[in-house]
Parts: sequence; C-alpha cells; structure tokens
Amino acid sequence: MTESVIRLEDVTRYYLMGEFVVKALDGVSIDISRGEFTAIMGPSGSGKSTMMNLIGCLDTPTSGYIDIDGENTAGLNEAELAYIRNRKVGFVFQQFNLLGKLTALDNVITPLLYAGASVRERKQTAIHALERVGLADRMHHRPNELSGGQKQRVAIARALVNNPTILLADEPTGALDTRTGNQILELFEELNSEGRTVILVTHDRDLGMRSHRQIHLRDGRVEA
Amino acid sequence: MLIENIKLAFNAMRGSKMRTALSLLGIVIGVASVVAILTIGDSASKSITDSIAVGGLDMVTIYPSAGQRSSGTFDEAFSDMLRRDVEGIETVLPQNSSTVRVRNGKESKSVSVAGVLSDYGDVLNLEYSEGGFFEAMDNINRRQVIVLGSTVAKDLFPDQAAVGQYVSLFRNQAKSYLIVGVLESKDATFSLSYNNTVFIPYNTYSQRFIRTSGVGAYVVKVAEGFDTIEVSDHVTEYLDDIVGTDGYSIFSPASLAEMAEQITGTFSSFLALIAAISLLVGGIGIMNIMLVSVAERTKEIGIRKALGASPNVIRGQFLVEALTLTLLGGMLGIALGSLLSYAVTNMLDWSLHLSYASFILAMGFSMFVGIFFGWYPAMKASRLDPIEALNYE
Repeated sequence: MTESVIRLEDVTRYYLMGEFVVKALDGVSIDISRGEFTAIMGPSGSGKSTMMNLIGCLDTPTSGYIDIDGENTAGLNEAELAYIRNRKVGFVFQQFNLLGKLTALDNVITPLLYAGASVRERKQTAIHALERVGLADRMHHRPNELSGGQKQRVAIARALVNNPTILLADEPTGALDTRTGNQILELFEELNSEGRTVILVTHDRDLGMRSHRQIHLRDGRVEA
Repeated sequence: MLIENIKLAFNAMRGSKMRTALSLLGIVIGVASVVAILTIGDSASKSITDSIAVGGLDMVTIYPSAGQRSSGTFDEAFSDMLRRDVEGIETVLPQNSSTVRVRNGKESKSVSVAGVLSDYGDVLNLEYSEGGFFEAMDNINRRQVIVLGSTVAKDLFPDQAAVGQYVSLFRNQAKSYLIVGVLESKDATFSLSYNNTVFIPYNTYSQRFIRTSGVGAYVVKVAEGFDTIEVSDHVTEYLDDIVGTDGYSIFSPASLAEMAEQITGTFSSFLALIAAISLLVGGIGIMNIMLVSVAERTKEIGIRKALGASPNVIRGQFLVEALTLTLLGGMLGIALGSLLSYAVTNMLDWSLHLSYASFILAMGFSMFVGIFFGWYPAMKASRLDPIEALNYE
C-alpha cells in the first residue's frame, strides 16, 4: 500500500492573463499511494482544478515533475498524454460530460474504442462496467433519458472501463441532490475498498472529510 | 474505428438535417452535372456514330470528279487495279446512279436508280422483305430486273406483293423491269437513301442510261482485320498519285465517325471541366459546414480528448465525417446525373450510354474534395486545447 501512483515534485503552473501572471499552482509537492482515497480541497481559485487537470494529464506544468504510475510525464507529446488519459486515468466530472447523442453503452464503450479493443471485447467490458454501477438495465438509454444520479453512474462506469490506475472525480456530487450524492459517494467508497486509488476534488468540507486523507490548497500552495 | 467514425458521421448528419442537406446539395449538383454532361456527351457521340455506321464502318466510297469520268481512268477495270495496288481491300464495286421516275399503272414516283453488280447486296448486307438480289447472269445478260427499296415498293404496291410484277422506268422511253426483290427498310446513309432507291444490274444501267464506260462511284469494302481509316488513307495517297487531289472525292463513314467522336469528346470534356468548378464550390460548402460542426462540438471534442482520443483520432473522426458527406453527395449526384441523362437521351431518342468513367471520376473528385476541404476543420478540431474544449459551453 505504499507504492506511489501519483507524485508531484515542486510543480508550478502559471497562466498569463493579459499582463499578469496568475500562479495557479506555486510549488506543490505531493505523493499519493496506490489504494488511497484522497480529497483535494480548497476554496475556488485555490488551484484545485489546475491540479486535477495536471494529474489527469489534460495539462502540463510550467515547471516541476509529475509521475503517474511511476512514469515521468515531462516532455510527453499530445498523443502520449492522450494514451495516459486513456489507460491510467478515469475522469468523473461535476456535469457528467456524457456524449449526448450516444447511448449509455456507447458512452462507456468510447474509451475502449480509443484503447483499440475488439468489438466483442468492447461490448463485454462496457456491459460489465455498467453492471458494476448498477445500470445494466439502462444501457440503451441516451443521457437525456437518465436521471442525474444515473448519468453520474454511467460516467463512473465510463471512467472505470479501461481499468485505470486513478479515478479522478471533480465535484462528482455537485450537480446532485444530497441523497443521490450520498449514493454516488458510497459507490466511490466501494470502489476504493476494492483497491482503487480515488482522488476527489471538492470545495465541500463534509464531503472531503469522508476520505482518508485531505490535501488543502490555498492560493496555489498546499496548506500544512 | 473507421466504422465507428462513419456511424458518428451519420449521427452528426442526423443532428442537423437541414444544414447537411444544403451543403450536400452543392456536391450533388456538381457531381450530377459532371456525370450528366459526360454521359449525354457519350450518348450523343454514340448515337452519331451509330447513324454513321449504318453506311458500314468498313466501307469507303470514291466519287470521281465530273471531269474525270470521261478521261478513261475511272472505268470498270479500275476496280481490279485498285484492289491489286492497295492492301486491305476485299471488294471494289463500281456503281452508277441517277434520278428517274418509276411507275406501276397510275402510281409513279421519282427515285434514285443505281446500277450495281450482283455482289452489292451481299457486300452491303442488304436484307429483303421479299425475294432477293439479282444474279450475276442478270448483269452479264443485261436483263431488265429490278430490286425496290421499301418505300418505293410500299408506294407502288400498297396492297400486294411486288415480286413477280413489273414496273416501268422512264428515261427517254419507258422500259419495263421485272421485280426480283424488295429491301427491308434501312436507315439512310450520307450517300444513299436505301428506302427510296431502286437497283438494277450495272450493265443494264450502262446500256439504258449512259453510253460511256465511266463509273459514277466505287464502293470499297475493307478486308477484315484492316483498319478502315488506314486503308482509306492509302487509297487517298494512291488516287492523289494518279489523278491529283481534285480528281476525286472520298467518303468513309469511319473517318466521319472518328471526327464526330473527337468533336463531341472535346466538347463534353470542356463542359465537364466547367461543371467540375461547381464541385469546387460544393467543396467550399463542405468546409463551411465542417467548421461549424467543429465549433458546435467543441465540448464533445474536449470530452473525447479527456477519454483518451489522440489528436490523430480526432482528426480522423472529422476527416471521415467530411469524406462521408462528400461521398454521399457523390453517390446522390451520380444517381441524379444518370436520371438526368436518361431523361435527356430519352427525349432526344438516343440510346443511353452510361459513362462509367464519369462515375469513377466523380467519386474520385468527391473524395478529393472531402479530404482537401475537410483537412483544415479536422486539423482545427485535433488541435483544440482539451481543458478549454471541456469548459466550452
């Protein structure tokens, strides 16, 4: 349980806003081990989203190093970053971000498509993932025929389907009512107890407290 | 991946039917006009060639000039000389013709009378509704026998068989001829209207109508395995040596057909080129809709990138979408163009000669347009920043 899956070493991420340099992350070093359930917390503008984007390889740091699953991501090109997003990271977003024209099943199949799985393999794996989140009976529905909780379950199934190293959830309960949000959180806890590394990005203190470890960000730095 | 991309392309088209239909229209009209012009051009050329070919594509006719007829060069012996000296000639048939009145009782009409050898019927593949052509002996003995063209027979013998009956031909005096055959109706050629012609033996004609040994025309049949135009060229060289270029004129359906084909070919290629420009305009429409599509689906592109789609994959998706659009437009255009060609050829009573080359050309061009005009929007999509795209509303 001490094997490091995410390691940030003195990571900075600066943006240029007009003439001003915004230091979204300003020298952050963290280490997350396999199987941990970690919450990244902080008020808006603290650098949470920037950190999530960096861990999820949607963005690259201005300086510093990020290792994902023991692999240094510095200097990787777009295609190589896409590969890491596909195989090592499962994203869950606040607004679900499902593809509206595709059925639940096709949504879950999409990452498998980019992983180059065969037609049979894709279908089997995707159905299995939907079963895991309890939505096997809704797989032929489109997102607009699903409730918020169901949409988020589809999104979780999609995040799980390539068996990623990290589940990266950005305010996953933000668009849900308390009860549904609770169920989604329970699902994350279950997945974590099965050995998955879960990172929850939230500004909600109560939510964060349910994780095993909290990393507080403020003004782009980790609070002690 | 290709199949999924094609499915996605159709999904996208369903999502904006009107817009898709309008931008498809540009390609459809472009392809349809290219296909229609080439097909109608081919059909026109084919139909012209066909009507020329009635005269026999293996035939060459030589007409001595008026001044040469009495010079002694163009007599019956010239036939054998020509066949001996120019390679590739099967037969040379001398023939004379003029206009006369032909009568049966009260019915009479003005026709062409041709004096020909008995081989003439076989060489020109004539077909008969009654009887047949006259025999070699008829010619030798200068018998007064006659073969009628179908219109002549119909006009003079509306209700009865003509063979075995007699008709009179008027030149200075009336002479009666025994009818031995009636021709099937046959399309007119440039030199002869078969239906309105009567044929009598060459020697009979010489005796009755002219009193010189001059010959009015020679019908040359080119031997099998020889190119008519080449043989015709050799005949031309040969005659130029003997009587000079002014001493004769020569006519061959084959060279005329070739010329007609060249003219229609050049003309339809030129028109197709203009139509191809409209395809280019259609391509700009495709680029337009693809740019709109990319802008509209920025969020989708962001999601796909987050799920692990590499820039190549995104570019592929949008290129396939553009290609699917243009190929669909190409297919619809071919269908519309063929339909249009069918309508036009049907109206003009030509036989439809579908230009498959134009189908391939149109599809190739559509594909080129799809790749060429789809490339920039697809590149644009693939280069979107994933975070900006994800946060795009």
